Amino acid sequence: MANSNLPRRIIKETQRLLSEPAPGISASPSEDNMRYFNVMILGPTQSPYEGGVFKLELFLPEEYPMAAPKVRFLTKIYHPNIDKLGRICLDILKDKWSPALQIRTVLLSIQALLSAPNPDDPLSENIAKHWKTNETEAVETAKEWTRLYASGA
Amino acid sequence: MGASWSSTSTSSRRRNENPNTQNHNHNNSSNTQQQPIYPSYRIQSHPPIPPPSSSSPPPTQPQPQPQQNYMYPANQPYPSHQNPYTVHPPQPYYYQPYAGGYGAFGPGAPLMVRPGYSPYQHQHQHQHQHQHYYGNQGNGWVGMRPFQPVPVQPQLPPPPFVDHQSAKKIRNDVNVLKDSIRVEVDGENSECHVVSFTLDAMVDGSITIFYFAKEGADHMFSPLYPDAHTPVKLQFQKGLGQKILQPSGTGIDLNFFAVDDLSKPSPGEDIFPLVIVAEAWSETSLTEEQDNQRPPTSNAQITQAVLEKNSAGLFQVKVIKQILSVDGVRYELREIYGIGNSDKESFDDNDPGKECVICMSEPKDTAILPCRHMCICSECAKELRLQTNKCPICRQPIEELIGIKVSNSSQ
Repeated sequence: MANSNLPRRIIKETQRLLSEPAPGISASPSEDNMRYFNVMILGPTQSPYEGGVFKLELFLPEEYPMAAPKVRFLTKIYHPNIDKLGRICLDILKDKWSPALQIRTVLLSIQALLSAPNPDDPLSENIAKHWKTNETEAVETAKEWTRLYASGA
Repeated sequence: MGASWSSTSTSSRRRNENPNTQNHNHNNSSNTQQQPIYPSYRIQSHPPIPPPSSSSPPPTQPQPQPQQNYMYPANQPYPSHQNPYTVHPPQPYYYQPYAGGYGAFGPGAPLMVRPGYSPYQHQHQHQHQHQHYYGNQGNGWVGMRPFQPVPVQPQLPPPPFVDHQSAKKIRNDVNVLKDSIRVEVDGENSECHVVSFTLDAMVDGSITIFYFAKEGADHMFSPLYPDAHTPVKLQFQKGLGQKILQPSGTGIDLNFFAVDDLSKPSPGEDIFPLVIVAEAWSETSLTEEQDNQRPPTSNAQITQAVLEKNSAGLFQVKVIKQILSVDGVRYELREIYGIGNSDKESFDDNDPGKECVICMSEPKDTAILPCRHMCICSECAKELRLQTNKCPICRQPIEELIGIKVSNSSQ
């Protein structure tokens, strides 16, 4: 039903995501709902998330691309801009959304967020505080969480 | 050479605060409705470029450099008088760079460069040489503006509605390629510099090179320091990709001037260190032409530039603006980002560079002002206006939308 009148843009984006996936990112639509994507992002090298495989869900609302996709981490992650429900604090998912952005660019931005945590604009107050007061320790925790929850097993 | 310039214009106008009310006006009477009056843009199909004439002078290159000049002109004629603070747009619109007269360049004056969006900028380098100029001259604005002086206004909020217009194409008979202008040391007189550039000319005409030229009330240029340098006038014949070199011995001793004076236009005045006026001669006047008599130009291009010293101590030309004067109406030439790869005929459904960034299905045919990003199709433009007032590419507020059809079919 929902798939029958899928906008051409979503079909094209999906095709391009599958045919030319971005490095370290995979996204494939759900069979029941072509607007729902199962996403996997590899932890970027030289970040505390290196070696981790992070699962996310991405949903394209009816208004997409006029409204941003809804994205959430399903894998537990220790990151100042991601809360315990997996919600992501990223400007392009909110007020800085532009219809010129795509699923691919959103996922690349999230991948970049893993490389560059921003504790000055926190979603998880505690993790951000940890990051600012003792970054070495916070990074260690992030690495440990990566081992514990994102080992891909 | 079937270049014809008839056109129709459509102008639809929508009040932003009430998206459910859409007025589609298909004639110019729409301008009587809301407060400011905007130009309408029209467009025609591409003019075929004449092959280089066999009688072209020797410097004609057999293979013109591939470069496409799509420019977006300023939307109004310059005022016929010289007080730069008298005539102003009704809103601080796209025309705002004019607010100080075109001699003033505040930091807010967005001239040719938007470094943030280069992907579009260089794509059109690879296409065949065509000249597109888009301008207004549609619905009374041109005629009205000089008679409706509006005082300078500080930044106002964006207007509550946005014009969605079609571009009108203006033919430019002579074009000095902006990026080809160089100053080099005169081989015979190492103290002097001469100018060289590449010229595309559809008709015969003349070039005048001025240093520190001031534009008079009659739009004629005159040198500020006539003792230091006499303007050099060169004639050319029609032909594309002509290399024009100022004759040896007619150069100027640039070291006579302070680098500071060379590197910027005189504030508040229309004086530029280097001005190149390329005039197209009308075919009929050609026989009566006297060398020292100004031809009755209906079409001229004025290039205003400054000279900067690079790290090697050599002078470099930096074009500040190019103005196209057609039948007494003047337009500033500006590039539109993304226009080079949007023609409908060769639209490739799988080429991300050509498609509308919103629907990713239709070829893009609408440019956004003032940021000049051509990135969406007309349908998505309508849709976008209901949702936001920000450009999808740069998030600058949208003030106008201009439909531009590009046809690259070689006839």
